[in-house]
Amino acid sequence: MRLLRSNLRKLVRRPATWVTFLLLVALLLLIFVAIVASTAQESDPEVALAARLVVTFPEAYPVVLSLILGIGGLLALCYGGAIAGSEWQWGTLKAAVARGEGRSRYTLLTYAGVALFAILGLLAAFAVGVACAAVGATILDVPLDGMGDGRALGRLPEQVGRAALAVSMNTALGYAIATIARSQLAGIGVGIGVYFAEGIASIFLPSVIQWFPFSAAGAVVAQGGDVSFGGGGEAVATTVLDPNVAVVVVLAWLVAALGVSAVMTERAEIGG
Amino acid sequence: MTDATGVALATQGLAKRYGPRIALDGLDLRVPTGVVYGFLGPNGAGKTTTMRILTGLVHADAGRVELLGRPFGRGDRRRLFEVGSLIEAPSFYPFLSGRENLRALAAAGAPAPRGRIDELLTLVNLRDRAGDKVSGYSLGMKQRLGIAGALLSDPKLLLLDEPANGLDPAGIVGMRDTLRALAASGKTVFVSSHILSEVQQLADVVGIIARGRLVREGTIDQLLREEGAVRIRVAPDEVAVAAPILARVAGEGAVELDDGPEGGWLTVRIDPHRSSELNRALAESGVFAARIEGGATLESLFLGVTGSRPDVGTGTGGGEAPPPVVWATDPGRKQPETTGWSS
Repeated sequence: MRLLRSNLRKLVRRPATWVTFLLLVALLLLIFVAIVASTAQESDPEVALAARLVVTFPEAYPVVLSLILGIGGLLALCYGGAIAGSEWQWGTLKAAVARGEGRSRYTLLTYAGVALFAILGLLAAFAVGVACAAVGATILDVPLDGMGDGRALGRLPEQVGRAALAVSMNTALGYAIATIARSQLAGIGVGIGVYFAEGIASIFLPSVIQWFPFSAAGAVVAQGGDVSFGGGGEAVATTVLDPNVAVVVVLAWLVAALGVSAVMTERAEIGG
Repeated sequence: MTDATGVALATQGLAKRYGPRIALDGLDLRVPTGVVYGFLGPNGAGKTTTMRILTGLVHADAGRVELLGRPFGRGDRRRLFEVGSLIEAPSFYPFLSGRENLRALAAAGAPAPRGRIDELLTLVNLRDRAGDKVSGYSLGMKQRLGIAGALLSDPKLLLLDEPANGLDPAGIVGMRDTLRALAASGKTVFVSSHILSEVQQLADVVGIIARGRLVREGTIDQLLREEGAVRIRVAPDEVAVAAPILARVAGEGAVELDDGPEGGWLTVRIDPHRSSELNRALAESGVFAARIEGGATLESLFLGVTGSRPDVGTGTGGGEAPPPVVWATDPGRKQPETTGWSS
């Protein structure tokens, strides 16, 4: 617990934590401003109606979560990569191991701290997103009655839990890539590359790519046939996994990423 | 090879290879308990690789390591709870303060006693800057903080890689006094360095490593005595007479004719303390030495046994060798009383 507490203290003080969160919130705000502005000026009633759904409650709840998973997935990957890479680059992992700390233990507890902050970021961003949607609804004269919809609110904890799992997996993926690369920049760069490659590949090989991490993460809160904000950062109508199957796939990716991180750290020759 | 028998650190046949390059080639070390051990070697000799193996950062391809009397290998990480180390550059989170960094370090591995962090910050004279972010620290301040980090869990064995890096003269004196005090209290300090003057002032015992092997080990006095040489200059036409006289004192094969440009120089492999015997033997035979230069220095010993040659300022094509370094020694000089690391 002493190591986990210390990791949490470090992450609170770490600029990357706040930069990542503020970037997520800024992008979210930008998206809502764009949606509201374009909807207000849209002459095609069908397009306008589709856009209004983003600010129409209770449908807005899963849409906001899906939006956050789309942008936040990439940011979570970068955040995980930054933390894992810096442990190698700054030599702080080396210092801990030389003090007799267990390599896997250190790696997994550091990840636990990162995942906890990523989930907190998700919750805070969700609150911001819901507020934005409510403001957008007010501007577009969409009634807010659905906000208090009992069924939708009842499903919310499960939806948020699924999103938390997806964000944790994205974080773990960045963490694993940076652990292999032993560098912040290389980890983040490769992570971003994988994210966009998956997004592009999903256009050509949707039935294969649906099993890949970002697509599966996008599917954990998506409804069958819904718009998914998955890999590639774009709203792409793709072949989407059943949400329950997606949860299992995401869990498998999470375990695999953590396993790779632990094994790589355990076997590594630490220098520098 | 046990702590009870007075050996804090021992390696046997330690070998490590990085691809085709051999870093360690059967390294055998024995570091007695309660001493400052200077681990010397030229760049690339295997010092840092040894340190990394001793702290579990890399694993040896072959050989054995014993730390504080017990075997140390994969899975024995808890042996390191009694070992403090500073390997290569000090490692810190730049966005945290010095105190927060020590707290973060104390959370990993061996627990640190309560109040230890403030105690150490005072010891390394960083108390006033303890709240500042490490990103604003100078190299010397980071080095001090690194040494404080190595001392966190009050280790029995301290492994320091080039600890004087970046320290100012006051910092070096403070570090030296601290390390001497630790050794005096029964702890063992293993210091890797290539700053020979620093090691000569600090270490009780030195080990010299070259090409991954230990080439000399012992107290500095002992090594200098063993490797000692005396250079004697006589009239050039008396060299043939002087050589056998000197050989009678120093032994067959101990006398070499120095073929330097001036002529008349003979090098005698003998304990420099016996130079008066040589002088007397020559005088009794009616040969008088024009000059007698005594003794190997740690530097000449180091250069000799490691096969290192100065690569700067010697020019090309057999230019003149640099003049010999004369160690300024002042037997009357008192050790500083302070252990402060003032900046």
